Amino acid sequence: MRWWVFLPVAILVAALDAALMPAFAVWGHVPHLVPVLLAFVLLYASREAAIGGALVLGLLADVASPALVAGADGPAAAPILGPHMLAYAGAAWVVLETRTWLYRRNTLTLAFTAAVVAVLVSLGFLAVAGVRAAYADEYPLWGGGRAVSALGADLLDALWTAVLAVPAGWLLQRTLGLWAFATAGPRFAFDPRSARAGG
Amino acid sequence: MALLTPRRLVAAALGAAALLAAMPASWQRGWTPAVGTLLWLPARPLAYGLSLVRVRLRAPDDPYPARPEELRSAMESADRLQGELDAERLRADRLEAQLRELSEVVERDRRGGWRPILATVVERNAGRPPGLLGLDAGSGQGIAEGDPVVTGGNRLVGRIAGGVGAWRSFVIPLDDRRSGRIDALAVPAEKPAAGAGARDGILVQVVAKADRTLEGELESNAPVKPGDAVVLSDASWPHAAQGMRLGLVESVGPLDSNPLRRRITVRMEFDPARLSKVTVKTAAGAAQAAPPAPTAPPAAPAGARKKGKGTP
Repeated sequence: MRWWVFLPVAILVAALDAALMPAFAVWGHVPHLVPVLLAFVLLYASREAAIGGALVLGLLADVASPALVAGADGPAAAPILGPHMLAYAGAAWVVLETRTWLYRRNTLTLAFTAAVVAVLVSLGFLAVAGVRAAYADEYPLWGGGRAVSALGADLLDALWTAVLAVPAGWLLQRTLGLWAFATAGPRFAFDPRSARAGG
Repeated sequence: MALLTPRRLVAAALGAAALLAAMPASWQRGWTPAVGTLLWLPARPLAYGLSLVRVRLRAPDDPYPARPEELRSAMESADRLQGELDAERLRADRLEAQLRELSEVVERDRRGGWRPILATVVERNAGRPPGLLGLDAGSGQGIAEGDPVVTGGNRLVGRIAGGVGAWRSFVIPLDDRRSGRIDALAVPAEKPAAGAGARDGILVQVVAKADRTLEGELESNAPVKPGDAVVLSDASWPHAAQGMRLGLVESVGPLDSNPLRRRITVRMEFDPARLSKVTVKTAAGAAQAAPPAPTAPPAAPAGARKKGKGTP
């Protein structure tokens, strides 16, 4: 995987999730593009690159989602690094173990995988946050209320993400040659000569 | 054999992530805001531009739908002044009570002046926890922890969370469960008699239930009806927030656990997730170099400023 392609796209997608995607909220449920990008990477990249990409996306998610931290002078907004990173890495591991079963070229496969990633990330994050709530956080990282409610909300977000993943995944599949993925096959290896020739 | 193989790098990164994830929040709060600002720096211009697109795609809730511009402007001014009036009435009430109890003590006027800072909502938490709203203004503009944030003149959005960056800050919306309990007054919709007003409100303590609603309890004979306004009257919030509207009473129903009391549901008049521009009411003189905001009312005298309270 070309990291110089992945990193700008990851930043763009994180910014889209933070700033634009709330415009597509339906009954308070917001679709996310980060799981779509991660699913795309997981379907094609080598194991190391895929886990590395998941960690980068998790780091961006941690940075983009500051938590409320108790302090002597009231609650403060501070990013808690780690929980999303672990959750994304865990989701990546599960998908990597199962990706050989999938017909990867299909956009619907990407949409399905994006939803699975979103659900796994939610489960992983709630698990980490649940453990942290026992000793590290005064306010649970999932934002209050019961973790089951948070999971329910995330499941609906994941469904909506899957719907949006169809056009987004189609666009990503069109750029497959640019990424130089290890498992995309020689047909999708980036060739500047064929790019110039319009191929 | 190479020391830095991809496999080893990934293993080291996973170990670091696990270590960070296990680290108590109090160990991270000192340095992660700076790291977060640095890491988010490349995304910041993108997020700003995309937030403008978001507003074009889905306009924020209009507090004055289908009104001509002049009328909207007048109504917003009226709402702002109404908020100021309610705040002054509450303050007068407090002063009256103080005078009654401590008649021999002449206190200095504790009125806190405030200055509006117009800010754009450029971010919303993309992951967990949801709810916090990112503003494109921070301590560089004079914004400080606990400052109240309003929209539409007097509709309270929430207050600024700690960890304010130089050019970035986060708002804890009112409907965030972590806002804690809030003391408020339910003000009957009917116009009060001359000289009365907010002081005739019914004291109610509300707590956020998320999804733009707050819930509280009041005595069963309290004359509160759906549609009544609920304004903030909480000593732990800054002076500039007092009298600002939390929302409208959506429903008043029985409380099964206590027949002598009723449950009240208050709904915010806007969707925090769809806000575009908000006004942060900062302490007057917090940052002299900050540019004046377009909706600046006459500045009140500067004075002492209270700290916000923590969540329960």
